[in-house]
Amino acid sequence: MRNSKYLAMLLGGAALLASAVASHAEGPYTIGVSNTVQGNGWREEMICAIKAQALASGKVDKLNIAHRNTDAAGQLEDLRNLISAGVDAIVVNPADPAGIKSALEEATKAGIVVVAVDQTVTEPTAYIISNNQEEYAYLGAKWLFETMGGKGSVVYMRGAAGASADSDRDKGFKKALAEFPDVTVAHEVFTGWQQDQAKQQILDFISSGLPFDGIWTSGIDNVIVDALVESQTPLVPVVGADNAGFVGQLTSVEGLKGAAVTNPGSIGGAGVTLALQILDGQKPAEQTVLVDPQIWANTTDEGMQQLKTAADPSLSPEWPVSISIPDWTTYTKEQIVACKGPGE
Amino acid sequence: MTTSPLLDATGVAKNYGAVAALRNASLSVLPGEVHALMGANGAGKSTLVKILTGAVSADSGSILIRGQAHEIRSPAQARRAGLVSVYQEPALIPDLDVASNLRLTRTPVEPFRQWVRELGVPDLDLGETARDVPLAIQRVLDLARALAIEPDVLLLDEMTAALPSDLAEKVLDVVRRQAQAGRSVIFISHRFLEIAALCDRATVLRDGETVGVVDIEPGVEERIVELMLGSRMEKARASAADADDGRQSGTTPRIGVRKLRVGAKLQDVSFDLHNGEVLGIVALEGQGQDQLFGALSGSTRPSGGVIEVDGQAVEFAHPTDAVAAGIAYVPGDRADALLMQQSVHHNIALPFSANPRSWGPIDTGRERDIVRSAIERLQIDTRAQGEVQRLSGGNQQKVTIARWIAADARTILCFDPTRGIDVRTKKEIYQLLRQLAEQGKSILFYTSELEEVQLVCDRVVVIFGGKVVDIMPAGIASEAVLTRASYGLPRDAKPASDTSAVNASDKLGPS
Amino acid sequence: MTAFFRGKGWVTGLFIMLALLLVFTRVIQPNYGANDFGSLVRAVLPFAFAVAAQTVVVIAGGIDLSVASMMALTSVIAAAMMDGATEEFALLVVPFVLLVGLSLGALNGILIVVTRVPDIVVTLAMLFVLQGAALLVLDAPGGSAAEWLKELVVGTASVPGVPEAVTDWIPKGLLLLLVCLGIVWIPLRRSWLGLSIYAIGSNQLAAFRSGVPVARTRIIAYAIGGLFGAMGGLTLTMSTGIGAPIPGPYLLASVASVVLGGVVLGGGRGGLIGPIVAVFILRLVRTDLTLLAIDPNVAAIVEGTIMVVVVMLGAFLAMRGRTQ
Repeated sequence: MRNSKYLAMLLGGAALLASAVASHAEGPYTIGVSNTVQGNGWREEMICAIKAQALASGKVDKLNIAHRNTDAAGQLEDLRNLISAGVDAIVVNPADPAGIKSALEEATKAGIVVVAVDQTVTEPTAYIISNNQEEYAYLGAKWLFETMGGKGSVVYMRGAAGASADSDRDKGFKKALAEFPDVTVAHEVFTGWQQDQAKQQILDFISSGLPFDGIWTSGIDNVIVDALVESQTPLVPVVGADNAGFVGQLTSVEGLKGAAVTNPGSIGGAGVTLALQILDGQKPAEQTVLVDPQIWANTTDEGMQQLKTAADPSLSPEWPVSISIPDWTTYTKEQIVACKGPGE
Repeated sequence: MTTSPLLDATGVAKNYGAVAALRNASLSVLPGEVHALMGANGAGKSTLVKILTGAVSADSGSILIRGQAHEIRSPAQARRAGLVSVYQEPALIPDLDVASNLRLTRTPVEPFRQWVRELGVPDLDLGETARDVPLAIQRVLDLARALAIEPDVLLLDEMTAALPSDLAEKVLDVVRRQAQAGRSVIFISHRFLEIAALCDRATVLRDGETVGVVDIEPGVEERIVELMLGSRMEKARASAADADDGRQSGTTPRIGVRKLRVGAKLQDVSFDLHNGEVLGIVALEGQGQDQLFGALSGSTRPSGGVIEVDGQAVEFAHPTDAVAAGIAYVPGDRADALLMQQSVHHNIALPFSANPRSWGPIDTGRERDIVRSAIERLQIDTRAQGEVQRLSGGNQQKVTIARWIAADARTILCFDPTRGIDVRTKKEIYQLLRQLAEQGKSILFYTSELEEVQLVCDRVVVIFGGKVVDIMPAGIASEAVLTRASYGLPRDAKPASDTSAVNASDKLGPS
Repeated sequence: MTAFFRGKGWVTGLFIMLALLLVFTRVIQPNYGANDFGSLVRAVLPFAFAVAAQTVVVIAGGIDLSVASMMALTSVIAAAMMDGATEEFALLVVPFVLLVGLSLGALNGILIVVTRVPDIVVTLAMLFVLQGAALLVLDAPGGSAAEWLKELVVGTASVPGVPEAVTDWIPKGLLLLLVCLGIVWIPLRRSWLGLSIYAIGSNQLAAFRSGVPVARTRIIAYAIGGLFGAMGGLTLTMSTGIGAPIPGPYLLASVASVVLGGVVLGGGRGGLIGPIVAVFILRLVRTDLTLLAIDPNVAAIVEGTIMVVVVMLGAFLAMRGRTQ
């Protein structure tokens, strides 16, 4: 028993050594990461996906992560620091598409591969791999309005005012709204993507007594269902993201009609894969790679099945359950949950 | 005299809400004279000064400078009109250096330097930050700064109070020369000695009105005191007959104060406070009483002398030490003592529950009993007991005393406890203090309202210029006697035999 | 000794600390050079103006919680006005935005003086008002900036007669910072108004008695704070090329740098150089943490700890100086 363990370790070590030698020509690389929202479940999963994918790829020996709450100017600072640190590639979740153009340009000039994840950037030399935010909102809103029977009033709980993901989603929502002339917006509010704030806002609205037939949320979803249940308000259809908590509610809360639209935070891991491919000389055909969302509604058997498969109580309730993206990520669930990068 | 006055204020009145601080004050200062402005506490002196210097504006009345009407709305305007003041506390900006302070007040540097030298400070560094300049020198700089802009009228408010005697001498000398040069000086001081030596005339205020203008001549002190007291004089004279000393000789005093010194303000104070006694302290403002109470309550360290508790010399490093020795301090400002947002119960319970030497759970049952008995004893109106700040001022004051009764303090230091309290509550507080004394507790009672001394105290200590000038039994401590004593004048024609302190008549030499 | 720590000593200490940090940076990243210094300066710019705004107000004995919102508002105004406009039009936009900052700052001061509501409350309310106003101007990051404005912070200055090896280390952003701060601060520091600002912060009663118009001076101090805030907003637009309506992390950073820079909260003491050097230090610490690839969650703790330790050390030295 003891011997076999020892042997396995030895073999593993040899394999690691071999892979290190083999990949020496094309690595190992140092990858820099820049992110400007800290303490949000989606973004934390993104960071963990980046770490897990870097580890799983075996081609990255060091991650240099600038991860804090700041604005575009602060991200410029972080990006320039990463340039100073001499990284090979930068995976960036941009605070603003245009606002960080100058630093991305400088990075490309310094020979650094730049991959923007989650949102688009205006710098033409940067590669982009992103969830399609407009489609995200459109899919969910369309399902909601159909479920409401094409009429009635909807509570529109947006993200953070002024964030570009929020304005992209707004476009998708408005597009769906235009297709359903009998649906009106009863109440529009910015949650700031804050759980407590959103819960308070929906409780305030419920107590106003105004009628509503559906709720669209920009991913702050499980607290909304909590609020409906706690205040014993008749359950209306709710659209949210594929956050673990909400997905669990969709399969367990009696009488709740709802749909989860996927918005995988693991897009960060995909960003690492794309960056490594480019470093290894395999450039994608297009500068921009869009990952389209899926919708899982508990009103159809197929959707229910997807929800049940995805529901995972071991994940943090704020994490999206779509922890991997086929073809783009190669890490295991244990690796992303452990949230350890190379050398940690 | 036929010369027209440099400064002529007439019919000046000022109300704060319903309270009339000044009713009808006038002040007329001739060129070349040093004019004293006098009045007892609350006579309106400081309000008149504030009006003259532009800190507040008068409701009515006129102020003429060189015959011209001036509206003085700020110190800057007063300065432009030719009236410059030097205040009790230094007016230099602490964080600016001296040169910047001069630039701020647009004071010419050369004349300033000259005055500083004449005032006896030869080596002043203009680059020094005002904060680092010793306090006494700061006062000199204030004065030099005022003199350097050659004002028509110079107002000196308690200028010499914080000065060592050699500097004070220089200041008086300069002031005298200022007058000889044809300018005027308004001189505010509690020291008859200085006034006699320096001033030509004095204006006396009482209850917000100018009650007299007198020429300064030998013996005028009596006349000024009479003016300050008004009708209270007569009834005062009558009671100044015989009285029991009230001192319990032979027993160990509860608190003994021996040659206590604190900073520059309190210079030499000795007295005994016995068990079962209410000992009054009487002093004009700023004579060192704050420092005395600070030292006894453990919040200020004495710079010399000894405090004895039950015959044992003690050193208080912190107010908790004083509390541990059974000495409780009831400050004049109730806001300093109470937790305004907390309940009456909590406030009373705090001192004895928060004994720093016994961390741990509070015995709430015992606490409730003690608090209840204290509230009953004091007849505190508890309808608003949820928050102390909703109580009346009188009831708040009772809470501050009640908490120490609950804490079973043996000695209570009361600093002007009845200021701003209605008459009925005042009487209840007097009763309470007497009751406490009868139970054997000892109480030190500073008051700014002199008639309270005979209502509450057994004996009274008068402090002037940081020194005890008189100790007398309450029986003879009429308002008149106390007023005279607190100005450093002899309490009566013949000096009392039982005072161990410096007799004021020794200090009043010929001028 | 005390005076030394109150005055030049503190600033000297900060400069030494900055120099040591630069050496340290060079050790952990031997390639750290002129380009990277330029990056540092550009990162410093918005913080430096935020700190300048806060410094003036704090010296006058106040505090301005609206500084970050002020920067956001002025930044989106500038970006929105320049969007689609000609390069020349920007010449009008800049003074207009500065005027907006000046007036809004003055409004802060007027509200504090007239309503007698504590400054912390007034400027907190203003924080929300300005933030809302910024969202009204631009509900999402957008707008654009004139090219010549963006050029102002890119690259290095070329001074005739000075070798390139030297000018490489003088980024344009640094010159912009020094000129903008100097043009306001140096005349202010030498004027009666400047003295008055120190005076009301140091001791209001004494200032009043010295003939300082306290209310007016306070309003002016807030107005100058607003002006610096607007400059900060402009540098945000210059460096990002857009305006962002959500305020960045400038409020807390400004207070932190003010304290670290030797300005006493409460007023009357300190200068502008200290806080500006403090900004450089804090930004360089951030750079070093990135270069060292410190765990991002630990980085914030390290930043905070450094700040507390330095301020405490300063207080300790000053206290030692006083007792000696």
